[in-house]
Amino acid sequence: MLTGFPRPLQRRKLVKVAVPKNTKQIQSMPAEARQVVDEIRHADIVVGIPSYNNSKTIGHVVRAAHAGLAKYFPSYNGIIINSDGGSKDGTPEVVTQTPMQDSQLLLLNTPMKPVNRLSFPYHGIPGKGSAFRMIFQMASMLDAKACVVVDSDLRSITPEWFDLLIRPVLEGGFDFVAPYYHRHKYDGTITNSIVYPLTRCLYGQRLRQPIGGDFGMSQPLLNRYLERDDWETDVARFGIDIWMTTIAVAEGFKVCQSFLGAKLHDAKDPGADLSAMLQQVTSSVFLLMREYENTWRGRTGSEPAALFGFRYDVGLDPINVNLDRMLTAFRKGAEDLGDVWKLALRPDTLAEVKELARTAKPGDFHLDDELWVRIVYEFACTAKSSRLERATLLKSITPLYLGRVASFVVETAEMGAAEVEHRIERLCLKFEELKPYLINIWFGETPAAAAPPQSSAPGAEQPEQMEV
Amino acid sequence: MIRTLEQLLEGVVGGIVTQLNNLLPPLIVAVFLFAVFFVAAVLVRWFLTKAVKGARMDRFLKEMGLSNMLADRGDVHTTPLVAGAAFWMILLVGALIGLSLFNTQLTTRMVEATVFLFPKLVTAGLIMLAGAWLAQFLSRSVLVWTHNEELPAPRRWAAATKVMVMFIAVVAASEVLGFAPHVFFAAFVIVGSGAVLAASLAMGLGGRDAVRRYLESREAAKLDREDEKSLWNHL
Ligand SMILES: Nc1nc2c(ncn2[C@@H]2O[C@H](COP(=O)(O)OP(=O)(O)O)[C@@H](O)[C@H]2O)c(=O)[nH]1
Ligand SMILES: [Mg+2]
Repeated sequence: MLTGFPRPLQRRKLVKVAVPKNTKQIQSMPAEARQVVDEIRHADIVVGIPSYNNSKTIGHVVRAAHAGLAKYFPSYNGIIINSDGGSKDGTPEVVTQTPMQDSQLLLLNTPMKPVNRLSFPYHGIPGKGSAFRMIFQMASMLDAKACVVVDSDLRSITPEWFDLLIRPVLEGGFDFVAPYYHRHKYDGTITNSIVYPLTRCLYGQRLRQPIGGDFGMSQPLLNRYLERDDWETDVARFGIDIWMTTIAVAEGFKVCQSFLGAKLHDAKDPGADLSAMLQQVTSSVFLLMREYENTWRGRTGSEPAALFGFRYDVGLDPINVNLDRMLTAFRKGAEDLGDVWKLALRPDTLAEVKELARTAKPGDFHLDDELWVRIVYEFACTAKSSRLERATLLKSITPLYLGRVASFVVETAEMGAAEVEHRIERLCLKFEELKPYLINIWFGETPAAAAPPQSSAPGAEQPEQMEV
Repeated sequence: MIRTLEQLLEGVVGGIVTQLNNLLPPLIVAVFLFAVFFVAAVLVRWFLTKAVKGARMDRFLKEMGLSNMLADRGDVHTTPLVAGAAFWMILLVGALIGLSLFNTQLTTRMVEATVFLFPKLVTAGLIMLAGAWLAQFLSRSVLVWTHNEELPAPRRWAAATKVMVMFIAVVAASEVLGFAPHVFFAAFVIVGSGAVLAASLAMGLGGRDAVRRYLESREAAKLDREDEKSLWNHL
C-alpha cells in the first residue's frame, strides 16, 4: 500500500512517538482499530463515516466516497473508515460488502491506489462524537494529511463532495472546511436561529452551516481536537459539530466553506427528543463560550469566510410545519416555566415574553429579533454560572425556541430563499449589534447593565486575544 | 439618737456596699469584657472583610443555585456573610463569658442552655437550608421534566415535590431540636400513607380508565406529530 510513496521513515516514527503521550487517547481505541493502524501505517486521506442504523443509505455514501477518492485523488492513499455505533440493521456489513459500481472511474484514472474500507465499533459513550473520536485517532496515527467526515444518512451526496471538502485542505492550506448547502427555509432552524448567528457574532467568521455535519480537516486541527479532554461531555453526542467548528474558528485555524448543493438526508428519528437535542447543542455552545470568553470579547463584527464550489439553485423537499402546535407550546411554556425562566431572563425580558404569550395569535405572531437575541444572551450567561441547574435550564428553552420558530414561519410564509436568507442576515446583525450587552452581562462589569443598550456604534477594532 | 441614725445608715449603706461588693466587680468586669469582645469583633469583622476573598465561594454559591435562593436577584457575597457571622459569634461568646462571671443560678442556667442549644440550632438551621435548596432544585427539575413530557399540570407536580421535600426537612430539623418529634413524625406518616391511599383509591375507582385514556390520547398526539417531525430537522 505504501509502495512508491516517498514518505521518509522518520516521519512515521515521529507519529509513533507523538501519539503515546496521550495514553488516554490510545486506551479508548479498540484493539482491532489499533491493529489495522499498525498494518496500514499510513494514509494520505481518511474519510470517516459515523453510522447508526443507516444500512439503507450508507452503501450510497461509501460508493460516493470511493468514487470521489478515485476520481479526484488518484495518486493519494485513501482510506474509508466507518465508525459504527452498534447498529442492529447490518450497517457494517453493508459497508464492507458494497460493490463498487463506478469501475469506469477507475479506468479513467490510472494509476489507482486501492481504497481501504474498514468498519469498526467504537468505545465510549454512544453518540456521533465518540464515533468521530475514533476516526480522528486513526487519522492522526496514520499521519493523514486530510480527514473528511460525512454523515451516513445522506441521500444527496456525490463524489464531488469529497473533492470540495478535501482539496481546500490539501492544496489551499485550509484547516477546516465547513459545508454550505441549500436547505429549505424551514430546515435547520436551530442553525438559523441560534447556532449560526451566535457563533458568527462571537468569533467573527461567517460559517453558514456550523453544524452541518460534513467537514474537511487538516492534521494539525485533528491533533488539536484529540488533545482535548472534553470528549466525554455533551460533545460526545449532538454537540460534536459545533464543538469542532467553534474550536477551529476560536483558535484561529484557517477556515472556509464549500458549496455542496442540497442536503437531503434521512428524517430524524421521530422519537428524537427536541429538548434533549437543543440542550446538547446549546450547552456545547455555551460551555465553549466560557472557555473562549477572552477570545470573543475582543472580536467585533464578522467577516465572510471563503466559499468554494459552484453555486447553483436546487429543488428542495417541501416541509410542513404546524404553527398552532408551536404557538401552543410557547404559550404553555410561558404558563408553566416562568419559575425556571426567571433564573435566566431579566425581569423586563421575562415580562415581555409573558405578555407576548398572553396575546399570541397565529395570524400575526411576532417574536422580535431583539427580544430573541436578549433571550439567547441571558440564557448563555446563566448557563455559565449555574453548573448544577444548567441541564434543567437549557431544557426549558424549548418553548421559547418554538415561539421564535413560529414567528419566523409567520414572517417568511410568503418569502423565497433569497429573501429568507436576507431575513437571517438581519438577525445576525442584531446579534452583532447587541454584543456589547452580552459582554456587559457576561463579565458583569457594570451593575447598571440590566437595561439592554438600544444601539451601539461599532467600536474601534481591538486586537484579538488568542491566549485561552 | 444620732448614733442610731448613723447605725441605721451604716447598716443600709453597708448592705448596699456588700451587695455592690458582690455584684459590682463582676458587672464592671463583665462590661469591660464585653467592651473588649466588642472591639475584637469589630476588628475581626474589619479584617475578614479585607482579607477574605469570597469570589470563589460566591461563584460556588451561584453555581449551586444557592445565591438565587438566598437573595432574589442572586447576588450573594460571601465576604460580608462570613465577616458578619464572625462578628456575632464573638459578641455572643463575650456576652456568655460576661454572664458566667455573675455566677448566680439564673445566669449559669442561661449560659448552659445557650451552650447546649446552640449547636442544635445551627444544625437545624443547616438542615432547613439544605431542605429548601433541595426542594427548589428538585421542584424545578420536575417542572421542566413534566412540561417536556407533556404531563398534565406540571406546576402542581413541582409544588407537590417542593412541599414533600420541605416537609421532610422540617421533620428532620424538629428531630434534631427534640421538638415534638413524635407529632411531626406521626403527621409525616399520616400524610404520606394518606397520599398513597388516595392515589390507589383513585386508580381503583375508575381512575385507571382516566389514566389509560390519557395515555392513549398522548400516544395519538405523538403519532400525529411524527409525520410532521419527520419532515422537520432542527439542526
Ligand atoms: N456511530 C454513531 N453514529 C451516530 C450516532 N448518532 C448519529 N450518528 C450518525 O451521525 C450522523 C448524523 O446523524 P443525524 O441523526 O442524521 O443528525 P443530523 O443529520 O445532524 O440531524 C449520521 O450519519 C448518523 O448515522 C451514534 O450514536 N453513533
Ligand atoms: Mg442526518
